[in-house]
Amino acid sequence: MGMTLELSRLCKAYAQFDFGPVDLTVDDDVLAVLGPSGSGKTTLLSLIAGITGPDSGSIRLGGRELVGFPPEDRHVGVVFQEGALFPHMTVRENIGYAATAGERVDELVTLLELNGLLDRTPPTLSGGEQQRVALARTLATDPDVLLLDEPLSSLDAPIRKRLRDELHGLFESLDIPVLYVTHDQRTATALGDRIAIVRDGALEQVGTPSTVLTRPTNRFVARFTGTENLFDGTVTDRTADETIVRFGDRRFRTTASDPSTSAVTGCIHPSRVEVEAPDGGGDRTPNTVTGTVTRWLNEGSAYRVEIEVDAESLALTANVRPPTFERLELETGSEVRVRVPRESIHLIPERE
Amino acid sequence: MATGRPSNRSGTAAFGFDWLTVALVLGGVLLLYYVVPMVSLFLSVPVGDVLARMSDPAVVDSATTSLLSASISTVVAALFGLPLAYWLARTDGAVTKGVLAIVVLPLVLPPTVGGIVLLTVIGPGSPLGEAAIAAGFPLTRSLAGVILAQTFVASPFVVVTAKAAFESVDRTLEYASRSLGKSRLTTARNVTLPLAGPGILAGVTLAFARAIGEFGATMMVAYYPRTMPVQIWVAFIELGLDNAYPVAILLVLIAAAALLILNTVASNPWE
Repeated sequence: MGMTLELSRLCKAYAQFDFGPVDLTVDDDVLAVLGPSGSGKTTLLSLIAGITGPDSGSIRLGGRELVGFPPEDRHVGVVFQEGALFPHMTVRENIGYAATAGERVDELVTLLELNGLLDRTPPTLSGGEQQRVALARTLATDPDVLLLDEPLSSLDAPIRKRLRDELHGLFESLDIPVLYVTHDQRTATALGDRIAIVRDGALEQVGTPSTVLTRPTNRFVARFTGTENLFDGTVTDRTADETIVRFGDRRFRTTASDPSTSAVTGCIHPSRVEVEAPDGGGDRTPNTVTGTVTRWLNEGSAYRVEIEVDAESLALTANVRPPTFERLELETGSEVRVRVPRESIHLIPERE
Repeated sequence: MATGRPSNRSGTAAFGFDWLTVALVLGGVLLLYYVVPMVSLFLSVPVGDVLARMSDPAVVDSATTSLLSASISTVVAALFGLPLAYWLARTDGAVTKGVLAIVVLPLVLPPTVGGIVLLTVIGPGSPLGEAAIAAGFPLTRSLAGVILAQTFVASPFVVVTAKAAFESVDRTLEYASRSLGKSRLTTARNVTLPLAGPGILAGVTLAFARAIGEFGATMMVAYYPRTMPVQIWVAFIELGLDNAYPVAILLVLIAAAALLILNTVASNPWE
């Protein structure tokens, strides 16, 4: 069908905060809107849903201008943070509240496994159940675009994970634009076909999850998506397929495309830093340095290991998988060899 | 009462009053001051005597006038007050504050002054009053006058209480309803009103209780037909205290019924 949502020069000024100008196009895929709290994510949704009006700019959905129309005339489906189910109605009444067709209701009830809940009232449901009902209620109206405002943020980890998987499958089956607002990078990368990073009411970067994660366009995006290793660097040499960049006194080779300035910020995601035993052949190999573990932290699925590179002022953070961590018998003070693959160093040109 | 407390045994707090007990004793005096006269009223006349006087035409007439006028005033107050309450609950700013102040004015104004204020607009001698008399529908010394006086004094209870009830309804629910394609009016009817229902009922109950007890403004605007409070006054002045008891007891019973509603189906705004 191919419904497209187009925002152009969208602006809204608040006393403490200016939103926009925002330009954004979403086709029938999932855009995860990722940003810290207070960055304007919810404002973006409110503007599209018609809960607030913009100061200027336009919002077009399938070619139809939405600005100036009340929420009820926009065909914009919204799933609110806590579900916003009507507490005085049963689950059945909630889903049927604005349903366009009975068959669609039955279909959604089956799809979202709500059969056993139909006669219950919202206050008796768990958080995950409430969100599934809210989703069914919104989808039952056959909206032209689906907006979700952190629907998983109030759920416990296991339920959040399961519902995230369910949502992933559900979004695939929809042929409308989906905007999914979250402050959680994992949810954004898991659900988004693309990710939009928002800060201070402006879009910092829009791209596929792998692009945003591995090739951030600025330090904020890099930091917000978990790239902890950010170094001031200088480009010293360029060849056809390589750029040589100096961090401190140490030169690294990278396949990062030739940046426009010689002063750069080097980004290395902790998951791309390879930690090895110190007796593996010294630091002759390119992009290999030796160092000492200064701190480590068990983060569950990986160990976060901080390494002070010998004789340099470089402090690297690496994510080490538990089997590796245990095999190397790492502890504070351990000598390690650190290898950073050429492809894993991304360079951001310094703007000022 | 405080002798068992460890601080007393250690001797560090020889004057360590149990302040909660002191508060209860002081409050208890006030409670007794409420309850004793109420009980005394019911004991001061034999039940049979009261029942016999209940059928007195003057008592029956005043009860009829009061119930009818208070019911109509309450309906009028709800009809005009609920939209105002909704508007007040869903708008912010200086204008809202000003409007709210105007709404609260009749609550703080002495009722007799309220009556005088009304008379300047609807009384004989005022253009509106004269026109109404000419049309055969006098606005003073008539049931209409009673209703106008009661509405002036009682309707703020509907507005103020219903405003709080509307405000307690999460606006996200209204946005949810509207984003699902329902108009503002449908949303108000299906979502806001049902959820604000107990609070609105409380406001209506309070307004009815206030209307049926209205005396000051009613005295000024419509001495006739006599409402129950006016009848109490007349009986007391003309025939003595004993003769005022039956209607007073009726009013106490109506007040008790209002309290019962507030504490069961309605949501008591003072809880």
